[in-house]
Amino acid sequence: MFSDFKSDGFMYLIILAVIIFVCAQAAFFMKKSWTRGLELGITKEKLKNAITSSAIFSFAPAIGIAVTVITLSVALGYVLPWIRLTVIGAIQYETTAAIAALEAAGMTGGIASPVTDPQIFSEIAIVMTIGSCLPLILIPIVLKKIQKGVTEVANKNSAWMDVMTAAAFIGLIAAFIGRGLAGTGSSKENIIGDGAGVLSLTALVSSIGFMLFFTLINKKLKKNWIDALSMPLSMVLAMVVVVLVNQFAPGIAAIEWRY
Amino acid sequence: MKTYMDKVHTWGRIWIIAALIFFLSIPVAICLHFGITPRMDVVGKGLASIAFFFATGIIEVIAYSPMLGAGGTYLSFVTGNIMNLKMPCALNALENCKVKANTEEGEVITTIAICSSIIVTTIVIAVFVIIFALNPNFSKLMSSEAFAPAFQQVTYTIFGSLAATYFVKHWKISIFPIAAVTVLLLFVDPGIGVLIPVGVVLSMLGAHIMFKLKKV
Repeated sequence: MFSDFKSDGFMYLIILAVIIFVCAQAAFFMKKSWTRGLELGITKEKLKNAITSSAIFSFAPAIGIAVTVITLSVALGYVLPWIRLTVIGAIQYETTAAIAALEAAGMTGGIASPVTDPQIFSEIAIVMTIGSCLPLILIPIVLKKIQKGVTEVANKNSAWMDVMTAAAFIGLIAAFIGRGLAGTGSSKENIIGDGAGVLSLTALVSSIGFMLFFTLINKKLKKNWIDALSMPLSMVLAMVVVVLVNQFAPGIAAIEWRY
Repeated sequence: MKTYMDKVHTWGRIWIIAALIFFLSIPVAICLHFGITPRMDVVGKGLASIAFFFATGIIEVIAYSPMLGAGGTYLSFVTGNIMNLKMPCALNALENCKVKANTEEGEVITTIAICSSIIVTTIVIAVFVIIFALNPNFSKLMSSEAFAPAFQQVTYTIFGSLAATYFVKHWKISIFPIAAVTVLLLFVDPGIGVLIPVGVVLSMLGAHIMFKLKKV
């Protein structure tokens, strides 16, 4: 575990401090929101529902994020990608930043070759960190103004604002649905499942199907726990369908109409 | 007297500035630990190659913050993984609790949902990375041909599930953005960072026209 400089005791101390910071911030806001929620008359049951459904929902994507640490671990060890994906990071940014920094340092093997020089490793850490920090500078300056503007518009014309809010959410979802239907792969190499094809379509169609199924069931049974579990269950079951299609029909699973 | 929302902004600013100082001190600590002076030309070259991050950073703040709420924005931008985790998590909680976004109730629910997601995600990532580090065979299994496709498609399963909820409820304003984004992708794929704001603007534009025509 502490076999090389990229994963020495010091690096583990840093990630421990990061985990404590992130959890402390979440616990602080959780307590304040819980108290405010009760003051506003939101029931404890509803607040607990928000906590449990979000916790269950986050489980599968969190494993997905952990697996992406493996992608970067060949070059950077486990701890630096772990830090980067716990704070600010997202896999598409971190991989790009790591490759850019490796190339700037003269390493041509990309994230497939291990970094053996602490000098290069430190420079990569600097690039990955600074590259993603801008929102943390912008938010304290602009967020209050943005929120104030949104609230003013919402108070002026609430019916229009409701439609616009739903439309904003739908636009976000549409971007991902569109990518699943017609998006090109992000890698230069032809990786199966990277571009739109049978696997992305299977994931989309099966998750929509399972979610509709659970919604229908809940319309009849009217149980809160089905509401809370519908989305995480739909996601996990859709992932199982993807694995099964890939295992039992690899030829079909490999079909992609966008590379 | 300060409102709850004013207080959220005060707490959020304190936490986010503390986070910024803390995160920037990490590479400094790594350099000091290894006794290294970074080469500014290498760092500059690396940062120049990812200069577009700064543009997407600005777009993300403007596009996501009205949807995440104030508390949700302060928390989500510190922990990252916004579009593949925090945002759908907040939307799911709003739907489950039958609460409107852009209200104080919505603010409370999205913040609680994102806090819960952050704690669970941090713990799950920690447990799995430690298992990977201790047991290389497990990491090989998780990234093997059998399981890798499932994790590769996880984003589509998230947004497929969300789509089922939102599109059924708002199908009239859903058709245009899906069709427009898909057609756009047939000609050019600008990457998800650009595609999201494009999708949001197109969707809001379509919905605004339908609202004016009294079709929604």
